[in-house]
Amino acid sequence: MNQEEKYLRSRLGTDNHFRVPEDYFDKLASEVMAKLPEQEHPACIEVPLLYRLRPVLYAAAFLLMAVLSVTAYLYNQQPKAEQTMAAASQQQSADAYIDEYTDYVMFDNTDIYSCLASE
Amino acid sequence: MVSLSDQQLKKLLSDPKTLRKGFELVVRQYSEQLYWQIRRIVLVHEDADDVLQNTFIKAWNGLETFHGDSKLITWLSRIAINESLDFVRKQKNVEMVSSDDIDTGIANQLLADDYFDGDATDAQLQEAIAQLPEVQRTVFNLRYYDEMKYSEISRITGTSEGALKASYHIAVKKISEFFHRHD
Repeated sequence: MNQEEKYLRSRLGTDNHFRVPEDYFDKLASEVMAKLPEQEHPACIEVPLLYRLRPVLYAAAFLLMAVLSVTAYLYNQQPKAEQTMAAASQQQSADAYIDEYTDYVMFDNTDIYSCLASE
Repeated sequence: MVSLSDQQLKKLLSDPKTLRKGFELVVRQYSEQLYWQIRRIVLVHEDADDVLQNTFIKAWNGLETFHGDSKLITWLSRIAINESLDFVRKQKNVEMVSSDDIDTGIANQLLADDYFDGDATDAQLQEAIAQLPEVQRTVFNLRYYDEMKYSEISRITGTSEGALKASYHIAVKKISEFFHRHD
C-alpha cells in the first residue's frame, strides 16, 4: 500500500454509507423469479469435457515432459560410449591386420627382432 | 441461509428439473454482493435495484452462454458491472450536470438521498469516484472497498492485471489530490 492509499484510508475510511430499504434483500429473490420468463426447453450449463478432464491432462503433460527429459539425457550420453567402443574396435582391427600379415609372410617373432636389431 | 458451493449450484443449473430452483438459490446467495458492486457505480438505490434485476434476467436468458469454465460469481459480476456502466453512460447522455452546480452536483444529490447516511466528505468521495474513467472507477471500487484480488478483477473486467494495477494507482492518486485540494 503506497502513501496516497494510506492517506485515503486514514482520511476517508472504507465505511459503506449507502443504505437499502428494510427487508429489501429478503423480498428480492421472489421479485426476480416472478420476472423470469418460462421456458419450454430450459437452457443448461454444459461443463466442457476438456474442462472436466483438465487435472488428468495436466498430469499427462507433466509425465510426458518427464519421460522426454530423461530420454534426451540418456540419448546425449550415448555418443561418448559409442566413440570409445568405435576406437577400441578400430584398434582391434589394426592388430588383427598385422597378425594376418605376419602369418602370410611367415615371419615369426625371432625374424622380426633380427630385422629390427639390424637397422 | 446455507451457502452452496459453486459446483453444487452449477450442477443444479445444468439439470432442467432443478434449473429454476437452482437459479433462485443463485439469486439468494449472490444478490447482496452484486447489489453493492452495482450501487457503488450507479449511486441511487432505485437505479441499483433496476440494474440488479436486469442483471439476473440477462443471466437467466444467457445461461447457455455460460460454459462453467469460471466461477458463477465471476460471470454474474461481469454482467452486473457491464450493466452498471451501460446505465451510467445512458445517464450521461441525458443533460450533463456540472459539479460546480451546487444545487444539483452528485455530492449534493447524495446528501439529499434518504438512502445515504454519510457526511459531506463521504459524499465528495463518491463524487470524486464518479468522475473517474470507467476502468479506474471499477477497479477502485472493487479493490478499495471489497479488497478484491487483481486476478479476480481481471477475470471480471477482461483487463490485464498490469493495466488494473496501473489504473488503481492512478485512481488513488487522483482522489487523494482531490482531497488535498479541498483540505
